Amino acid sequence: MADLSSVFVRYDLKKEAGEKTVAVSKDELLQKVMTAVVDGDEDNIVDIVNQALKVHDPLVVIREGLVKAMNEVSRLWDEGIYYLPQTIISSDAMMAGLDVCEKKMGHSMEKKGIVITHTAEGDIHDLGQQIVNALLRANGFEVIDLGKDVPVDDVINAIKQYKPAMVTGTALMTTTMTAFNKIANRLKREGIELPFVCGGGAVSLEYVTSFDLGIWGKEAQQAPPMATDAVSGLSWEHMRDKYNG
Amino acid sequence: MAKYTAMAYKSADEMIFGTAKYPVKYGRNFEVGGGFVYPELVPHPRPGSEETKKSLMREYERMVNDALERAVTLGFPGLQIELEHIWQMTKNPDWGGDIAGQTRKLQEDWYKKYGIKSAIRATIADNRKPDQENIRNCRSLELALKTFESSAANGADNLSMESVGGKEISDYAIVRQDIRGVLFGIGVLGSRDMEFMWKKIVEIANKYKVTPGGDTNCAQANVAMFMAGGLLDKSVPHTFAAVTRAVGAARTLTAYEMGAKGPTKDCGYENPIIKAITGIPVAQEGKTCACAHADLQGNLIASVCDLWSNEAVEYHDMFGGTTPAVFTEILGYDVALMNTAIAMGKAKDLQALLINSDKYRDPHSFVVAPENAYQVGKAIVDNNTDYYSRAKAAAIKAAQLILADEKMLLSNFEREVLQKVLRDLESFPASEKDFIEQCTSIYKKVIPGFNLANYGL
Repeated sequence: MADLSSVFVRYDLKKEAGEKTVAVSKDELLQKVMTAVVDGDEDNIVDIVNQALKVHDPLVVIREGLVKAMNEVSRLWDEGIYYLPQTIISSDAMMAGLDVCEKKMGHSMEKKGIVITHTAEGDIHDLGQQIVNALLRANGFEVIDLGKDVPVDDVINAIKQYKPAMVTGTALMTTTMTAFNKIANRLKREGIELPFVCGGGAVSLEYVTSFDLGIWGKEAQQAPPMATDAVSGLSWEHMRDKYNG
Repeated sequence: MAKYTAMAYKSADEMIFGTAKYPVKYGRNFEVGGGFVYPELVPHPRPGSEETKKSLMREYERMVNDALERAVTLGFPGLQIELEHIWQMTKNPDWGGDIAGQTRKLQEDWYKKYGIKSAIRATIADNRKPDQENIRNCRSLELALKTFESSAANGADNLSMESVGGKEISDYAIVRQDIRGVLFGIGVLGSRDMEFMWKKIVEIANKYKVTPGGDTNCAQANVAMFMAGGLLDKSVPHTFAAVTRAVGAARTLTAYEMGAKGPTKDCGYENPIIKAITGIPVAQEGKTCACAHADLQGNLIASVCDLWSNEAVEYHDMFGGTTPAVFTEILGYDVALMNTAIAMGKAKDLQALLINSDKYRDPHSFVVAPENAYQVGKAIVDNNTDYYSRAKAAAIKAAQLILADEKMLLSNFEREVLQKVLRDLESFPASEKDFIEQCTSIYKKVIPGFNLANYGL
């Protein structure tokens, strides 16, 4: 058999990630909450959070347990130790835990801000949008999910109704992404200015930055920091400079 | 419906590019799988051209003409054009039909003038939304069926589709590394939906005396593969995507059990498994689809192809001409090499080169390499008692093959993922009925809009 070892290089093996570490709390119950989120233990998170709530205030469980754990998950993903599924499963566990805490409080946690998400008219490929939704919710944003194959009018009406800090659009095909330009033009005509983050499939930097309001989202994990910037009042022009410059 | 219970080939070694057990003839003197590989060019219109029927037809007229002209200019014997519908072509059945008619007229003109063999595949868009509507009785289905009819009536030789049944489950499962959901969404629900869709497609094809072509697991296994991405991506584990491909093969097989004749759809990376089972000709895309996406089996995937495709290339100018012309040239020379190998008795040598280029580049390429594809196919036919059993058997076989070959190097993480997948698969219920009940209970809670009635359950 010929030596084929130089035909290709498995760079993935050379870059193999190190071991994961779990965020640490001095409190045993909060540690359990954090571990459950980091491990994405959706089966047991409700019981674990309920145990913690017997001792701690819901706000403490949220801030010192759930949120800190998600920060750890974000770090693990950023460093390439976690893959997307681990992050999504952790997000699911975090949201399940948050739901328990909010029921105990009797009201929802105040959200950082509202983001409207949608997939373009004519496009049923909304997996990218679903990932964006999960990441935004896990990071404390209220997501108005308009779903897939959404007409331009519906997006405009939702923006008027909910007054979000940011709107996102995803599309797989170049021939459906053309709805984004129409949405941006309608908003401008009606005097509405907000960051409109577009991404997915064949959606390109060149296209999205060809119209006002447009900011190109290269990857789903950019959504939480972008939403944070939008909520803090950064204009679409500044966001474009920051993320697409 | 007759299910496959035996392999079309005695061994993987019998499989070769250009030749299928059951060749298909249609179009203008065009035969697929009859000892010759042809290019299949897939042009894609520029954004904005879809605004009106007139502008879109003009775009297609230019694209098809450019491809045919380049094929004749360089002496290529034949060319299939795929009209892979953008949403607007299926939403407006007359658009899809008229573009098929226009393409046929162009192909006939070039055939009369130069004798270039040609054919048209019309791939109708599946815009049904399983989590939002009754996909067995909705406007999107009605329009799709009308567009199949208008395409067949006006000139399409081959009717194909990329059906989306079960996608609401598989999308949820793929990003959660949930093999149960993959098996349910693709292996069970996807197959049931294909049974529903392909009965209708085959009826339309027979009515118009055209060929029912094939389907692909683009909406599911390709989602997993594209998200797994390249060697440095960390979205979906590559081993998980490779097992998902095997499940996708069990699903895609349903089209051919329902009467589709091939050639299969180009983006079905599960097609080597399908060819091993059915013996029908297959279309594939590899390095030539870099215009649309990257993959890790650019050469290998050509090893048993009968049509060689580019997936989709948007219409633009390049130094060497427009993109349809340029990609026709690339495809045409690739198949010329394959056909030369066939003519010189060197086809198995070239096939070995194609396979060995990529077999160990990634678990996905490993699973669709002919010898492994054959074994996955064998697991499917040996367990073809119901959709669940055959999909589970395919997944287990794929996982076992990857784990057993020392040359298929895996990171610790990828290996652990695969071992967990195998443990999970072996823990699932024995019967399809129990599995469906288990999955219904789980996914009803987490996927709003999931409706068993969409799948006749």
